[in-house]
Amino acid sequence: MTAAALPAPLSVARRSWLRTAVVLLLVAAVLSVLWVFAPNFFKLNNLINILVQASILAVMATGMAVVMIGGGIDLSLPFSAALCAVLGAMYMRATGDLAIGALIMFVAATFIGLLNGVAVGYLGMIPFVVTLAMMSITAGAAVWLTNSISISHIPAGFVGFFRERPAGLPVPVLIALAVSVLAAFLMSRSVFARQLYAIGLNARAAKVARISTRRVLAMSYVAAGASAGVAAIMLTGRLASASANLASPSMVLDVVSACVIGGISVYGGAGRVWGAALGALFITLLGNALNAAEVSLYASQMIRGAIIIAFVAFDRFWGRGG
Amino acid sequence: MKRLLEAVRNSGAGLVLLATYVVFSVAAPSFFGPQNLLEILHVVSPMIVVAAGMAIVVMSGKLDISVGSTAYVASAIFAVIVRDGLLPFPAAVAVSIFVGLMLGLVNAIIVVGLKINSLIATLGTMIAFRGLGLSITDGGLIILPDAVKDLGNLAVGPIYLDTALALAILLVVQFVHRSTSFGRQITAIGNNEDVARRIGIPVDRRTVATLLLSGAFAATGGVIYTLQVGVNTAKIGDGMEFTAVAAVVVGGVSLFGGRGNILTSVILGSMIFQIVRSGLQQVGANPYSYRLVEGVVIFIAMYADALKVGTGSAGTRLFKKS
Amino acid sequence: MMAAPFLRMRDISKAFPGVVALDRAQLAARSGAVMALVGANGAGKSTLMNILGGIVSRDEGEVFVAERPVALRTPIESLQAGMGFVQQELNSLPTMSVAENIFIDAFPRRLAAIDTGVCNKRSRELLRRLGSDLDPRAVVGDLSVGDRQLVEIARALRRDPRLLIFDEPTASLSPRERKRLFDVMRSLKAQGVAIVYISHFIDEIFEIADDVTVLRNGRTVFSGEVASLSKVELVRHMLGSLDYEARLQRRRPAEPGVLLRVASLKRSGIIDDVSFTLKAGEVVGLWGLLGAGRTELMRALVGLDPIDAGAIHWSENGATVRIGPAELGRRAGFVTEDRRGEGLFLAMSVGENIVMPNLRAISRLGLVRIGEQRRSAARMIERLAIKTSSQDQRVATLSGGNQQKAVFARWLAGAPKLLLLDEPTRGLDVNAKTEILRLVNELAGAGTAVLLVSSELEELTRVCDRYLVIVRGRILAELPESATAEQLISALSLTDPREIAA
Repeated sequence: MTAAALPAPLSVARRSWLRTAVVLLLVAAVLSVLWVFAPNFFKLNNLINILVQASILAVMATGMAVVMIGGGIDLSLPFSAALCAVLGAMYMRATGDLAIGALIMFVAATFIGLLNGVAVGYLGMIPFVVTLAMMSITAGAAVWLTNSISISHIPAGFVGFFRERPAGLPVPVLIALAVSVLAAFLMSRSVFARQLYAIGLNARAAKVARISTRRVLAMSYVAAGASAGVAAIMLTGRLASASANLASPSMVLDVVSACVIGGISVYGGAGRVWGAALGALFITLLGNALNAAEVSLYASQMIRGAIIIAFVAFDRFWGRGG
Repeated sequence: MKRLLEAVRNSGAGLVLLATYVVFSVAAPSFFGPQNLLEILHVVSPMIVVAAGMAIVVMSGKLDISVGSTAYVASAIFAVIVRDGLLPFPAAVAVSIFVGLMLGLVNAIIVVGLKINSLIATLGTMIAFRGLGLSITDGGLIILPDAVKDLGNLAVGPIYLDTALALAILLVVQFVHRSTSFGRQITAIGNNEDVARRIGIPVDRRTVATLLLSGAFAATGGVIYTLQVGVNTAKIGDGMEFTAVAAVVVGGVSLFGGRGNILTSVILGSMIFQIVRSGLQQVGANPYSYRLVEGVVIFIAMYADALKVGTGSAGTRLFKKS
Repeated sequence: MMAAPFLRMRDISKAFPGVVALDRAQLAARSGAVMALVGANGAGKSTLMNILGGIVSRDEGEVFVAERPVALRTPIESLQAGMGFVQQELNSLPTMSVAENIFIDAFPRRLAAIDTGVCNKRSRELLRRLGSDLDPRAVVGDLSVGDRQLVEIARALRRDPRLLIFDEPTASLSPRERKRLFDVMRSLKAQGVAIVYISHFIDEIFEIADDVTVLRNGRTVFSGEVASLSKVELVRHMLGSLDYEARLQRRRPAEPGVLLRVASLKRSGIIDDVSFTLKAGEVVGLWGLLGAGRTELMRALVGLDPIDAGAIHWSENGATVRIGPAELGRRAGFVTEDRRGEGLFLAMSVGENIVMPNLRAISRLGLVRIGEQRRSAARMIERLAIKTSSQDQRVATLSGGNQQKAVFARWLAGAPKLLLLDEPTRGLDVNAKTEILRLVNELAGAGTAVLLVSSELEELTRVCDRYLVIVRGRILAELPESATAEQLISALSLTDPREIAA
């Protein structure tokens, strides 16, 4: 009764716009500081380089955002990407078949996502633990397969493709754009997304509304896995090699940070996936900016940590609360 | 002792531990025997200390994934002080641990003061603390003087000093958890924070204390590890947070809080990974396969646990909604 | 004139934004007596008790404890004034021992450690005061609900309260546990403790209470000795003068066939051998007090809660099939009692809420056809006359009545043959209530079978063709459309024949 009498909180939609506005404002602030102190930053090549760096992070953040919208987390994403990059690269090196190699990366990562999804959705295991275990398994498998040696000699055609700049933008950037747009479209239009948001918002109500929560949750991890597959392809293309060291715990944190900064709630049910891509861009931009402004790498790490906390605090006090 | 055996029997991890021990003992006769077991206990002692702190936090239903970075900062400060002879050895240890306490305080302020979810808060500080540590060492190696180095592998009779210290700390933590007001109240908070608040337990004060302890223990673990290897490297503590969570949870402490025996969990959880590692080593397996096997072990132990507890749909959500 | 009461609350008023919870309510409790506090849902009992517990502050009025005015600004002040609470929801810590549960906020200590000996000994003493020989070392999670409750009473007793408040303590107890709880209350009474007992169970009030206070719409409408009134009079005080409005008229199908037959549905401790039938176009009232198992029965029927036994038969187009609860859940619409917690996705728009269970029907290749969604939602908004600025408005910002219509709209889009409605008019104003009832009536007229739960008799009597009386998870009687309010009220004080035997 008293709960019913409380004022309704700000609408989710309005809040996510507010969020976006804040991120954009921060970006503008960072850029204007750079304009004054490091004008070289604005050289076209540097900007494009930042976009390329951000693109892989953005793809994984998009997948992570899907899982987080359903109220979960997937710590294994970057490691799964590294493993699948290794698998596909080994195939490419052995056969020279680029398309099948890329397909292997994608399918394997999606399958790993399925394993996570079944464990969380159908077996009711805790996402944090499931994906933590998967993180170890995939990281371990990648190290084992490669003996920690980087797989180079990726066919030149594959590498060359990722260096192309159709429409003035490098291929990885275009892929990231395509993934973001596709994900944003699906996450606003698909039945799956609608049900996933519903589960994230209120799992009990979702059951009453005849939503098969287990299947939808499992599917969200499959989607995340697929994003890791795309990231694997991009990583291999950009670096012209694949290795177990492509992933690190700090990359997991970058992915989660991108989502949090992009307005994806850790409590599920709120946020838009393109926000995560924006968050990825912001993180990359910030890192580069701090670098360009000759802030030490170490201080910039401290700033990054503080920014994540500041964003969650922002959510708490002006948004949905925690 | 009887209770310990019972706990071993009751936990999936106990069975997995026993099974791996038997398998490796059969496969490699050199593996079996007290000498190797003592060696394993020596190597895991830093992890036992860190996991003991983590266990306290997990018992109260929260997480502290900044422990690896905290350990690194403490290790860095310790190494710098000892290398430059700024302070006598005991003072260097004390200062390092105090620094851990202060980093724990930072976490506490964010989690309790700003009411930010502990996973996200410590995710942020994990990045920030690592930056802090790197700015102290400038990312380079710091080699300890030989006199200090020897302390790390000092043994009295067959028992390593750090093993004794780690077990002593663990026993104290166990005592605090089982037999003091503080220990029981954090367990109550882990059972259900709202109920604990209603009953009149000072939830905020207790939470601050758990995070302080976890910081102090992480620092202690970092110092012990630094003494063992005789050098501070930028890699110290990297991934330690995940191993610590895995160790605690695999050992049987519930991530939802309030459940589990800290003593057996930390020992089982820490040992299981080292036994696998040491066993694989003795049978001459590819060293790069260790991590994969570790991941599989976590997964099996957690799966066994999920089947036993039947967490059901409660487990699919990262955080309870407040 | 009796001795001055231990507790006296005078002219207590409290308003929440938009709701007056208490309006000059009165309450008095004597030492060594059990005072029952009763009232329908939303009568203000919880608010009154929260004021007593120092959780909610009063706007107006005075509270006297042993003739001295008290402020009760915080829970601590309430404890110091001698209050003890046994909450409806268990505040137990399942992984911990009985003694730990009792002493968790103030352990007896020896040096740094908890003095387990003293702790266990005192726990045993407290439990013995309650007539229980529970082992203080037992783990609370392994105990029955009744035993857990004893542990909480022991926790409250630890501070030696002079007034103990039991908030619906029997809701989930077995008959034997309930009997034991009453013994405990009697012995506490004999020890001079004042007891406030909140309950919805009429028979229990007559069994245990000395005095009774009835709240209705935030006011005290009766206060006196239990012996001075009959069960029916008490129910009437609770429900108020029934404001009968004309029955809503409806065309009945000529020869309604049986749509649903439920046989021997059981869920241990909650639903006890329930059998009934529903015909197409029929509105059946599931009449019982809160806690009788109404909601639980509905949830079990649609597969949201597990069942232990029972069969569901569904007849359509002359064919009868046996189906499971999950399948029934796919065929029936279910309007839950907790509209905001289980019914709606508050952060979503009206349109999105309406189409949620029927997304498949308005999608192609897994994509929601927005045009189709808008048409479908608009159709429903128009049909149910939902007042919303647009279908994009957030559902949380609608009025209660319109929110409820949105919940109905969601099910009507699929044209279900069966609707389960759990308190569909709860918290709505008079006009909205009537609108919802009209809607129910209209749906039944179109051939939908409706099982309707309501705590408000005057609502049921406007639409129901039949009543199933549910008491403690059992259907104890079936009454025809012609049943009078009197008969229905009397039916609530029916007691399970098996319990009398026991």
